[in-house]
Amino acid sequence: MPLLECKGLVRRFGALVAVDAVDMSLAAGKIRAVIGPNGAGKSTVFNLITSVLKPTAGEIIFAGENITGLPVHVVAQKGIARTFQLCHIFPALTARENVRIAAQARDDQRWRFVGGGRVLSRSAAIADEALEHMRLTRFANVSAAMLSHGDQRLLEVAMAIAQKPRLLMLDEPTQGLSLEETDRAVQILKGMLSVGNLSVLLVEHDMEVVFKLADDITVLHRGRVIADGPPAAVKANAAVRSAYLGGSE
Amino acid sequence: MNWKVNFAVTAGACVLLPFMVPQYSLTILIEALIFGLFAMSLDLLVGYCRLYSFGHAAAYGLGAYSTALILTQLQLPLPIGIVLAVLVTILAAIPIAWICTRSTGVSFAMLTLAFAQLGYAMLFRFRDVTGGSDGIVGIPRPSGPLGITWFQGKTGYYYLVLGCLLGSYLLCRAIVRSPFGAVLAGIRENEAKTIALGYNTRVYKIATVVLAYAFGGLAGALYAAFAGFASPELFFWLVSGRVLIMVVVGGAGTLIGPILGGVFFVFLEHELSQVTDLWPLIFGSIFIAFVMFAPEGIWGILTSRFNAKPEVPNSTDRKETSDAAA
Repeated sequence: MPLLECKGLVRRFGALVAVDAVDMSLAAGKIRAVIGPNGAGKSTVFNLITSVLKPTAGEIIFAGENITGLPVHVVAQKGIARTFQLCHIFPALTARENVRIAAQARDDQRWRFVGGGRVLSRSAAIADEALEHMRLTRFANVSAAMLSHGDQRLLEVAMAIAQKPRLLMLDEPTQGLSLEETDRAVQILKGMLSVGNLSVLLVEHDMEVVFKLADDITVLHRGRVIADGPPAAVKANAAVRSAYLGGSE
Repeated sequence: MNWKVNFAVTAGACVLLPFMVPQYSLTILIEALIFGLFAMSLDLLVGYCRLYSFGHAAAYGLGAYSTALILTQLQLPLPIGIVLAVLVTILAAIPIAWICTRSTGVSFAMLTLAFAQLGYAMLFRFRDVTGGSDGIVGIPRPSGPLGITWFQGKTGYYYLVLGCLLGSYLLCRAIVRSPFGAVLAGIRENEAKTIALGYNTRVYKIATVVLAYAFGGLAGALYAAFAGFASPELFFWLVSGRVLIMVVVGGAGTLIGPILGGVFFVFLEHELSQVTDLWPLIFGSIFIAFVMFAPEGIWGILTSRFNAKPEVPNSTDRKETSDAAA
């Protein structure tokens, strides 16, 4: 049974069909990339799975459970963690506190409103581990606003892994990064993904990044799936080449 | 545990204060502490959730009128009356919080203001119970339980108010440093992200509004039993405006700052109103000056004077370190 299954997902914005009958599945422990030109519907698919948007039709099955249309925080509590295309962090808080709040979200005693010292230290330990994974330990006590853009993106990934998700969803983790920063981010991500047996859904613009990281690729074009398979097959697919790669290779 | 020493010293000084000042200035001192407590309660919303309530007078008025009604109608000891009044305030706050937190920003501010004005209007609508524009006068300070009477005198009442303020401060301090308080910081910084992490932020916001009402209601209850009357002005939007100014001038998001802001303004108003009728003008000028030149407030000025600033690497440092990392 796949960990995540999207069946006939449709999302309309007025007359525009942003996502049109998308079927997609992700097996546990695999990394699937969703690629496509601007406006292909990648981010909309992300927002449908995380329930930020409600689908016009279709359903989303996660770990055998229909999660379509549940509130955003409930979907997160099922074990789906995400990063945003436009970096979402807590700028005035330290890097450690950013990740600590993320870790605390999965603690049974997160409601404690007096005391709760053990909750705080438990989640701080998880946070330090996640910062270590992302090689951000040196910035633990620095306020997140002071980090470079690349480090902020990694910080958001650290927050996502601190949630101990069953499914990790990364929305263009290398967007806006310099070439050097992208290389470094890919290295770190690759290291992290190979260690933990994580299931990952990745939206990415940068082809190089996708072919380095993904086990399988879904190609979207104008809201429809035009190809689905391992990187080599997708690379060779004629429809993909004309729609997306523009036959430039 | 440096703060514990500071807290003990401050509390000790407050305990000794009645022996050092003339009896008549205790009145102004009690009022200052009550307003300090009131401002601190609003700080939970403004400073920690960035929820700007323009109707916090509702909490104050609810606490005051509940106390007035309980003490004049029922033969209950003062402490029990105050506790009941706080409970009444909490019960009233739950639906108010539920409705107000449906919105954020300006609409939240307007909704809170609307509820306070609704309370104000209701005082005139139900004048049989509330006394209309006359308010409720002759609120007693009944003794007990167990025949305790020490709070009936002015000095004793000062200690009652001081005890409530210090206890509330310790409780609020624990709350903002708890796991719950960390989520409030998340809501303040980026609510969408906090939801995406799996927190039901609406529940956190409702709980915080109710907490703020509870402490604000306690301040109102202490005021009513001290002044001996409750008048509709307690619900009026000027009270909401004043307490918001106290929070901002004192230093939002610090708990201590708003207490200082409340004390500062009560004393200032007392002194200035004896000298000139134009004191609201000075009041306003001070507010503008703080917003423009010291947005971190009185407490911010004090702490930056006595403590070295925490070391924050500047942008060039940051560039070097990330280069080194790459």
